[in-house]
Amino acid sequence: MAAWPESTRLIGSSIPRLDGLAKASGRAKYPSDIRPEGMLFGVILSSPYASAKVKSIDLEPARKMPGVKAVLAMAQPGETTIYYQGQEIAAVAAETEEKARDAARAIKVEYEILPHVVTERQSSAPDAPKVFNNGNYRAGRAQTAGKPDEAMQKADVVIEATYELPVITHVCLEPHGLTAEWKGSDSITAYASTQSVMTVANDMVQTFGVPASNVTVLTEVMGGGFGSKFNADAWGIAAARLAKDAGRPVRMFLDRAQEHMIAGNRPSAKAHVKLGATADGKLAAMIAETSGTGGRSPSNFPLPYVYHVANRSRTHTEISVNCGGARAMRAPGHPQGCAVMEAAMDDLADKLGMNPLEFRLKNLAETDPVGGGINRTELYHEQIERGAKLIGWERWKPRGQNGDGPIVRGLGMALHQWGGGGAQDKQVACIINPDGSVELRSATQDIGTGARTILAVIAAEVLGLEVGQIKSNIGNSTFPPGQSSGGSTTTPSMAPPCLNAVTQARDELFQKLAPGLNCAVDDLTLSGGKLLVKGEEKMTWEQACRKLGVMPINTIGRFGPGLSSIGVGGCQFAEVTVDIETGVVRLKKIVAVQDTGLILDMLTWKSQIYGGVIGGLNYGMFEERIMDEGTGVMLNPDMEMYKLAGATDIPEIIVDAYDTPEMRKRGVIGVGEPPTISTAAAIGNAVANAIGVRVPKWPMSPMNVLNALAAKEGKA
Amino acid sequence: MAENDSRSPNGPGDHSRRNFLRGSGLAAASAVLTSQATAALAEAEAQVASAEPQVLSGDVNLTLMVNGKDMSCVVEPRSTLLDTLRNRLDVTGPKRVCDRASCGACTVILNGDPVYSCTTLAVSCQGKKIETVESFDTGENGVPHAFHQHDALMCGYCTPGFVTACKAWLDRHPGKEPTLEDVKRGLDGNICRCGTYIGVFEAALAVAKNQKGV
Repeated sequence: MAAWPESTRLIGSSIPRLDGLAKASGRAKYPSDIRPEGMLFGVILSSPYASAKVKSIDLEPARKMPGVKAVLAMAQPGETTIYYQGQEIAAVAAETEEKARDAARAIKVEYEILPHVVTERQSSAPDAPKVFNNGNYRAGRAQTAGKPDEAMQKADVVIEATYELPVITHVCLEPHGLTAEWKGSDSITAYASTQSVMTVANDMVQTFGVPASNVTVLTEVMGGGFGSKFNADAWGIAAARLAKDAGRPVRMFLDRAQEHMIAGNRPSAKAHVKLGATADGKLAAMIAETSGTGGRSPSNFPLPYVYHVANRSRTHTEISVNCGGARAMRAPGHPQGCAVMEAAMDDLADKLGMNPLEFRLKNLAETDPVGGGINRTELYHEQIERGAKLIGWERWKPRGQNGDGPIVRGLGMALHQWGGGGAQDKQVACIINPDGSVELRSATQDIGTGARTILAVIAAEVLGLEVGQIKSNIGNSTFPPGQSSGGSTTTPSMAPPCLNAVTQARDELFQKLAPGLNCAVDDLTLSGGKLLVKGEEKMTWEQACRKLGVMPINTIGRFGPGLSSIGVGGCQFAEVTVDIETGVVRLKKIVAVQDTGLILDMLTWKSQIYGGVIGGLNYGMFEERIMDEGTGVMLNPDMEMYKLAGATDIPEIIVDAYDTPEMRKRGVIGVGEPPTISTAAAIGNAVANAIGVRVPKWPMSPMNVLNALAAKEGKA
Repeated sequence: MAENDSRSPNGPGDHSRRNFLRGSGLAAASAVLTSQATAALAEAEAQVASAEPQVLSGDVNLTLMVNGKDMSCVVEPRSTLLDTLRNRLDVTGPKRVCDRASCGACTVILNGDPVYSCTTLAVSCQGKKIETVESFDTGENGVPHAFHQHDALMCGYCTPGFVTACKAWLDRHPGKEPTLEDVKRGLDGNICRCGTYIGVFEAALAVAKNQKGV
């Protein structure tokens, strides 16, 4: 079995991604760009109501519209219950998108409108209408360790507070969808915007009963998923059905409003927390009543997160509302758990009169409860030291000492951790052709992390070539089984089989060449595009490959031990200014210290960290799904009032790779999710530090900040 | 706003900005129509009033000059420039993301001005010069190259819009080497969800410096 090279030429350096120029020049064809011959445009008709019964659907008016080629009911009259606004009612395929939209609007649907609940508040009212027949709550049992009530009594200092985080949505820039093309009656190709070509292929096999060997799902590139794009989904299946009916390919992508309503979200979180400590700053007890809504989907989050509280109890209640279901979103649950726990930690440190950094160091959990089970205590100490230096923590002052206003300044911090290990059942094929071209193949895909590029980096490293000489063919479900892009598992799942495939291919090449060169296999090495015998240049890579005749080398690499690990973490620091008259928060600086095992491409790795931080920054500062209790509709299903950071909202961001020799020995670990976890928490703590009072509700919008200030002054 | 602003949070008569904003329910800053903007609006209205009115309906044969080539297709009067480029002419560099002039992914250069093609009617673009990202120099002095080198993209779906906005800014400010603040303001009409802004800033500054030196 192969091992990661001790000294590297390419691995760990900064290498621009292979498909970067194609993307930046508009030449890369995304699934939503592809237009097979004769393609029709599909549109989904969505329910305008959050809660209803479908009484009847009349598709005939749509069928009669000009240019319409196929129409399909997706809800069943008399049977289908509408649980949320945006739920699929029907689908249309027409010659143009404009005509398809007209036709969808022409479909006559009779609804029996039912009462709805679209917020946690509404759902919790005494006589609230029921989302499920058995009610709107699924209360978990209390999870208890030690004697929390007794310990809380004995605690010297106790805080009691409620923290809230809103529902946010993924806002993938390329909407969910696919283009379906039948080739004959039992063979289908789908160009899908997905983070799992294999899952979409399987959905097609299961739905249409076609042989798996006749299904091809292609995702050359795709425009963002963040956890919400694993399946074909109802609309993807509808596209395939319409394509079958019309006998022509159908492109079906959701519109922006549907994206917000039906394509997934991050559940809300609310936590009523009692946290107690001894006077010397050791956590004594925690009692937490928590809840959250993911529509009709789960909404849990981890507590007490990275800290050790021996005596604790926690009860979590899942609240159902008439809104689209939650889906995995970049580090599911963690940003919520982190924000709640880190806010409570800061509030308690303030009451204790301690520096919150020192307070954290006294209370770290010795065993990483999330991934790997490693003791992160020492790691956190070192990472916090580095982060504190980079943000200038020596400038930290207690709440109430950060200026008289109107502009006050604050510092905050938070810690995070994540699993990020990989699967052990994935494969990569490596083909070395007689003309010297090298191809890698696997049914994984590049969600934007640089998956395509890191595979090529590995191959180029082993074969002594340049990265551009490697063709990294992924995003095809018919290739050897690859990993879905979720859970920060792609790199640790795919890098080990890639290293093994390429190493085997190189060894086979050596075995074929050695006899003709009158040397031992061990005498051969590859470097700088040349074949070397005992360190002496013998011939070029192309000349060496030509000796293969007409037979390419074709190997399959599988998982190997020692090449990857699980469990990463880090800390983040934020510096903000707040105008206490307007409530406007401005970010000044964010520092992110992150470990991640062996880094394959420093450039794309850093982009992941920046991206995670900016995702967390959005969560901390701007994002919020706003539901109207009266009508049951989403009030901001767009990108105007659903706010995301633009260029002028971005502060200085310092990324510090915790890239030590010990870390590299751990092998590769995924890093897409961890850096997005602690940003919103750190920002919330910085705001509290600045204005002298906790803003208990995220995002740190002017309204939430002003309300917190008003509450402090007794004007709420 | 200056950070050494000395205005008191509790100004005369308790009419502080905070209370005003809370009271009015307007937490976000609202725009004020300046005299300059009023003049521009009046000029635009005058232009509209003097133009020959045209009534279009049904299918319209249209020829657009895209990236120096005349391209013909059939559209409806309501068809946007974006949908016409993407769905009829196979020019898919501009992307449809928000479809409501909020995110900039659909940005094209129309007679030298960056515009959101998702809220521009195709029929209004006849006789105008339309440049999309596909026409830009992909060589070492071009904007796409700088984005590639600085990893100013991840999923890449917003990238053509950012590249186009960046190119338009450089075209309109020849020979100027922008500050980071200039770059941020120049690109503030675009949104990235993966969070590639830092790379975008680096790329924009690098390409400006490079072009200035040429």
